Amino acid sequence: MAEEKEKEVVKSIDDATIDMIKKAGEDGVRTVFDRADTTKPCPIGSEGSCCNICAMGPCRVPLPKGKEETPEEKRKRTGVCGATAETIAARNFLRKVAGGAAAHSDHGRRVAEAFLIAAKGESPEFQIKDEQKLLQLALDLGVEIGERSNNEIAVDIGEMLLAEFGRQEGELLTLKKAPLKRQEIWRETGIAPRGVDREVVEAMHRTHMGVDQDYKNLLLQGARAAIADGWGGSMIATELQDVLFGTPSPVLSQINLGVLKEDEVNLIIHGHEPQLAEILAVMTQDKELIEYAKSKGAKGINLAGMCCTANEILMRHGVPIAGNFLQQETAIVTGAVEAIVVDVQCIMQGLVDVANCFHTKVITTDSRAKIEGATHIEFDERKATETAKTIIKTAIDNFSNRGKNIRIPKQKSDLIAGFSHETINYLLGGLFRASYRPLNDNIINGRIRGVAGVVGCNNARVAHDDIHVRLVKELIKNDVLVLQTGCAAMACAKAGLMLPESAKEFAGEGLASVCEAVGIPPVLHLGSCVDNARILIAATAMVKDGGLGDDISDLPAAGAAPEWMSEKAISIGQYFVSSGVFTVFGVTWPTLGSKEVTEFLFKDMEELYGGMWAFEPDPIKMAKLMIDHIDKKRKALGIDKARERVLYDMAMRREME
Amino acid sequence: MEEYKIEEKSAPNRDKVEVLGKTYDKGKPEGEEMGRWRQKLGSRAEKLKYLSTAERYWYGKDWFGSEKRKNPA
Repeated sequence: MAEEKEKEVVKSIDDATIDMIKKAGEDGVRTVFDRADTTKPCPIGSEGSCCNICAMGPCRVPLPKGKEETPEEKRKRTGVCGATAETIAARNFLRKVAGGAAAHSDHGRRVAEAFLIAAKGESPEFQIKDEQKLLQLALDLGVEIGERSNNEIAVDIGEMLLAEFGRQEGELLTLKKAPLKRQEIWRETGIAPRGVDREVVEAMHRTHMGVDQDYKNLLLQGARAAIADGWGGSMIATELQDVLFGTPSPVLSQINLGVLKEDEVNLIIHGHEPQLAEILAVMTQDKELIEYAKSKGAKGINLAGMCCTANEILMRHGVPIAGNFLQQETAIVTGAVEAIVVDVQCIMQGLVDVANCFHTKVITTDSRAKIEGATHIEFDERKATETAKTIIKTAIDNFSNRGKNIRIPKQKSDLIAGFSHETINYLLGGLFRASYRPLNDNIINGRIRGVAGVVGCNNARVAHDDIHVRLVKELIKNDVLVLQTGCAAMACAKAGLMLPESAKEFAGEGLASVCEAVGIPPVLHLGSCVDNARILIAATAMVKDGGLGDDISDLPAAGAAPEWMSEKAISIGQYFVSSGVFTVFGVTWPTLGSKEVTEFLFKDMEELYGGMWAFEPDPIKMAKLMIDHIDKKRKALGIDKARERVLYDMAMRREME
Repeated sequence: MEEYKIEEKSAPNRDKVEVLGKTYDKGKPEGEEMGRWRQKLGSRAEKLKYLSTAERYWYGKDWFGSEKRKNPA
């Protein structure tokens, strides 16, 4: 029994998840946690030493373990075509960046298309909700405002941003949001992206058999494709979603499997794109549909989110979250989910297998993401209400098919989300003087040591949520303000770190005092994984406000994805590094098969971009690496020691100039 | 945005002076309004003005922040 308990703890730190792993075992249901036990990671593929891009292979070129390689051995360690371990590791890495950038950017493209449909008045359900953000984008892009209607302005913005994906020359318009020095660095190092799609296509071309065989050159294209994601596709997604659905403001909600309700129709929306989720959030409040649910014996309709689609509707509507990536199957294991509706990304195929053990319907909604065995109801923005009604009715009709084997965990935590850049700016200064000045001042005076972005996924190879929570607790204990997105944010929300009162319990004295004064938690939820673009903008706002250098790489800041698993995480990590941020990843590192490639990513990139990668699976050591980097930057800025305040008179001021 | 209110107050060695009145919102926001702030900006002109001040380093004409340099980038 004790052994069994210990095994469960290794799988998750979340009691609700542990309970559902146990229930899955009792019910004979195989989940991701079981599959991770029986399907071990390939040791050669995991270190980037397997090349399978042509039919002469796959060629495996693993680094010898337990001994130093002789030059002769290293010379022989190549694929059939002669590709070195360096080329193979760099190609694999670049393909991961390309995959991640493609995912985020195709999300951005779909949002831009929906935005244009709304702007042209082709969908009554979608309207321009945030004029303020619309005007902001118009100023960014040089779109005429004047007396034009919001829709006229929006059409111009939508067409311009949609064209960014297929841009062939010049550079992305959104790069201009970055600090001026950062833009110079990108131009000088030749990595300012031309168009989003072009950089991804070129990455795929250059990693084809017999093309780019210089590992440094391959990795530079990785830096460029990643910027096309963070400062391009992802940023376009975030900005247009804000205009269409509203820029997030602080909102109180709840998270964990305990948000599911035994006496209501439970409908979970899972994936990444917000269009369908937005309309479901509205339509689940529809009186007619609620009456229909009551006619089937339920007390109402309970919409809950999963993964980043959840973050989107949490940030804007306060819709509760059932869980993060590793909880998607355990939600079904409760036996109380009538339908799990999915759009794109991070959707396990195992959902269908788990759902087959219960009454739950898995509903796919996007032509790009079908799953064998699932019910497909295609979402069309032009018929949004109709599609949403069909989906909700399908879930309601399934309520009577519930079995008796229902167990909903009680665990749920309160959280406050909705910290967009615009809202942070407002919270720190109000309407009269919105500003990042108080944050910068408190970093300079040392109350806040620095800022960390802790983002990314869950990974079944490590205890679910454990690394996130331990890392973030260690950071805030050391007065580091933490900004979060994605499944990482959900892990910390479940641990109660996203409430203002958690500052008193978990944060260091300096950070706690600032949180108390402003009324914010020490860990801020900035949204979904495309919303990492918000962190880039927040970092830029800190730079522009002054006193902390003139580039993102000067800031006392660091990033981490402690439980990463997806290619998107690699793309995110690379665009943070390319933007000047020291970024640490946990779990595993995909280039360990080549010392040279790893060295280039971990050291040489700092000389190029001011930011570099690191790998550290232990959360406390990871926090130490991040804090050491923050302290290094504080020292470089000359804010590592308390200084006597000097009141300058005019003569002294003149002397300064 | 609400108009600023001016209040009259007594000041030492002077009769009455005009000062800026309360600028905070009355009451406590509840329900839908809780946590929301963007609705406080009403007209397009107000929104544009807010951008030029609140987001001054991107949209203000006279603000450079840390990026004010002798040799512009």
